[in-house]
This record gives sequence, structure tokens and C-alpha cells, in this order.
Amino acid sequence: MADRKVAVTGVGIICAAGSNVPDAWGSLQRGVTSIGPITAVDSSLIRFQNGAEVRNYDPFKYFEGSRADHLDRFAQFAVIAAREAVEDAGITFTPWLRENTAVVCGNGGGGQITQDSGYIDLYQRAKSRVHPLIVPRTMASGGVSHVTMEFGIHGPSYTVSTACSSSNHAIGQAFHMVRRGEVDLAITGGSEAPFAMGCLKAWEAMRVIAPDTCRPFCVDRRGMILGEGAGMMVLEPLDAARARGAKIYAELAGFGMSADAHHITQPTVEGPARAIRRAMGDANLAPEEIGYINAHGTATPGNDPAESAAIREVFGALADRFGVSSTKSMHGHALGAAGSIEAVVTIMALHDGILPPTANFTQADPACDLDYIPNAQRKVQAEAALSNSFAFGGLNAVLAFRASK
Amino acid sequence: MPDSAVEEKVIATLASVKRISTEQIKLDSSLQDLGVDSLDTFTLLFELESKFNISIPDDEARNIRTVGDIVKGVQRILDAGKDGSTLGSTTAPAS
Repeated sequence: MADRKVAVTGVGIICAAGSNVPDAWGSLQRGVTSIGPITAVDSSLIRFQNGAEVRNYDPFKYFEGSRADHLDRFAQFAVIAAREAVEDAGITFTPWLRENTAVVCGNGGGGQITQDSGYIDLYQRAKSRVHPLIVPRTMASGGVSHVTMEFGIHGPSYTVSTACSSSNHAIGQAFHMVRRGEVDLAITGGSEAPFAMGCLKAWEAMRVIAPDTCRPFCVDRRGMILGEGAGMMVLEPLDAARARGAKIYAELAGFGMSADAHHITQPTVEGPARAIRRAMGDANLAPEEIGYINAHGTATPGNDPAESAAIREVFGALADRFGVSSTKSMHGHALGAAGSIEAVVTIMALHDGILPPTANFTQADPACDLDYIPNAQRKVQAEAALSNSFAFGGLNAVLAFRASK
Repeated sequence: MPDSAVEEKVIATLASVKRISTEQIKLDSSLQDLGVDSLDTFTLLFELESKFNISIPDDEARNIRTVGDIVKGVQRILDAGKDGSTLGSTTAPAS
């Protein structure tokens, strides 16, 4: 079967910026930062105080009876965003479609809040036993499993875990399956819920978290801000989507991957550049067609100059013709969910002709020489856009989207 | 502890685990009718062990069908004054 074009026909999101796409995208396109004091744990015990949490979250608003107790927060987020994406796409599942739908999601750490609570019982409270649902709540595949159960999906379904690139790798796998005709629909994205003391302490020890806020690409940036949430999308063959009169947000046109093979935390320029080139080649996109890049843009000392140099290396002088923003400045770094949230943002940017800014922007680092869309959105209808995700360990994944015509 | 206190505590624990009202729970209510699945059962047994300070063995709870079965089982363990032999976990998870 010849490769098929792949359309995005539904989107869903829950993150610090909002609990659905209209709220989150509305906030992000206006440059509103959702970073604030961490409430999930006693932050006086950690060296940083701010995070991008989903605030005022009540799982019982989304899950009936004891069902919420069966899902860790990361899996709840996956189901919530998937529900929005499926409803948005107007999918009616028939028995045939259920057999031919895939669910592929990214996740970095599994049910860390659940795992943490077990360790607190065991090691801090000196209890002799732990809660019986720790295993099903903690397993990193739990989000995908609950999404399949939510809709009764029987097709290929699995979780991809490549740290902060998890979601982009997951979306890429789902894209490949739809493009090759292995499935006729995919629900894909990712989720993460890292606001557990053990996890926050681990990040504290890495010395990469900013004490104040997230200022990607700025000379006075002090590191990343952790975030949480989920992003989901529905992928289907473009022709089939058109035939059923579906709303088409964008075309997912290409996907590129690479490995740095260099260092477990330090990035290279060549690795990300290779993934960007591969994504563009896969999408058959010319450099002139790119009108926006949603950057990985973590605001760490290492990432931002390396990512900027990678973009410069691929595009040369053409890189001055488009905007590059890091929306992590607003929704934080959602780790294994980052790519999914940012992919939805990139899709909405193409759909609405609005480029979201890099918030909290002060002055560019001299080592970062691109146009970072500082603090205010731009009304630009880009033809195509990239969404970058790079990870500790040098596993790079780039998605290429084309605006729907 | 008299039966009525055990009964009351078992029902309150089940209501809390299942997030339903105690009024919905009768002694002859079957766990199936209350929508208590295997995960809820694991949690229920865990909570009962904490509340009554007892240890419920793994291999005998397949007999639990109703709320009354649980109350009787807990009562027997308490009366025995030692780790019990009448309640245990339900079907083990597949993997």
C-alpha cells in the first residue's frame, strides 16, 4: 500500500495553562505563564519553589466512584486529554474501527506520585506493607491501558519512554502506523505527573531547575520549571478524514529521529540537527516552507545554545525568516508529556495562524541567535511547522506539521 | 468488639473505598452488585487490615461474595485473637 497522508482531526490537552484546548491554547497564545508556587508537596523542603501544576484539579470531576483511585494522576491526565481529542474529532467507534485503532502514548516516569506514597509508607512511616494498587497505578503503560478501556480499543497499543522525547517518539510511531495503513485511526500523545517529593528531589540534585521562572534562550535564564499534564491527538488518513467531513487541524507530514551517542545529560548540536533534517526530509518539506518551530527550549544552560545552533546549522540564513518559541516558559517542562502538549500547541498555531510567544523573555543569550517571538504572539499563517523534543541521553524526535489547505 | 460495631466499620470502610453512601450497603449486598471489582477488593482488604489491625491471608477470600461474608470473616479473625484464616485476597492479578 502506498503511504497515506495523515491528518490531525482532534486535539486534547490538560496542563497548567488549562484543562482543555480552548483554555490552554487561549492562555498560551496570549503569553500567559502558568508557573507558580508548588502546592503538591511541602516546597520548603526543596531548593526550588515554583512549578507548572494543573491547579484546582479534582479527579472525581472526571472519574466516577472509585475509578479515580485506580489511576495515578498521569494516567488520569491521559484519559482526560484523550476524551477531549476523540470528542473533538467526532469519532463514533464501530466494532471494526475499534479493531483498527492504535493508542500510543509517551511517558517518562510512570506513576511517580503513587510510587512515592508507597515509599513514604515503607521508609518514612515504617509501615510493613504498601497499598495494593501501587503496581497497576505505577506502571508506565497504565495511561495507554486506561485509554484503550475508555473507548474499547483493541488495536496496537503501547507506551514509549524516551525521557523528555517520549511523546514525540510516541506520536511518530502512531503516525507511521496510520501512514502505512496498519491502522485507520490513532489516539496518540503523552502524559506525565512528576510532582512527587522523590522526583522533585531528584531534579533538585540535577541542579537544572530555576528558582524563579523559565526564561528560554535568555541571557539570565536559570534553568527549567517542571510541568505536568497530557496532550493527545487523533490521527487518521487525510483522505478518509476529508471523506467523512472531519475538521482537519493540520497534516502530520513527517517525523525524524536521531541519537547523539554522546553523553547521558549533555546535548550535541549534530544530533538535534540530524533529527530536524530527517523530519523535513520525511515530510518532503523545503527549508523555505517552515514558518514556525516550537522549540524544546528548556531554559537550561546546555539545551538552548545547542538547539539554536542546530536550527542554524539546518536552515542557515533562512532561520532568520521564521519564529522559534518555547512554550515551556508558560506550561513548564512536562517531561514525557512535553512533546504532546507542544505538538498540540504547534497544531493550533498552524490552524489559527497565531505563533505563541516565548514568555518571561528578557534579553537573548548571545549564544542564541534566532527570533524567539519574545512575550507577544504573532499573527502569521505558517505553511509548515516543526515541534522539537530532545532528551537526556541524546534521543531526539522532531515532528513536522503542514497547515491544512 | 460486638457484631454491630464490626458491621458498622466494615460498611463504612467499603463505602469509603467504593466512594458510595453507607445506605447503599446491606449485609446481603453482593460485592458484584455494588460494583466492587478486583482492584476495589484489594483496596478493601488492605483498609480492613489497617482498621481492625488484623492480617488477612491471601488464599481464602474467594469465598467472599457478600458484605455479610466479610463481616463474619473479620469477626472470626478478631475472636481468634490472632492472624486469621477465613479471609484472603480474591483472584490474583494476571501479571
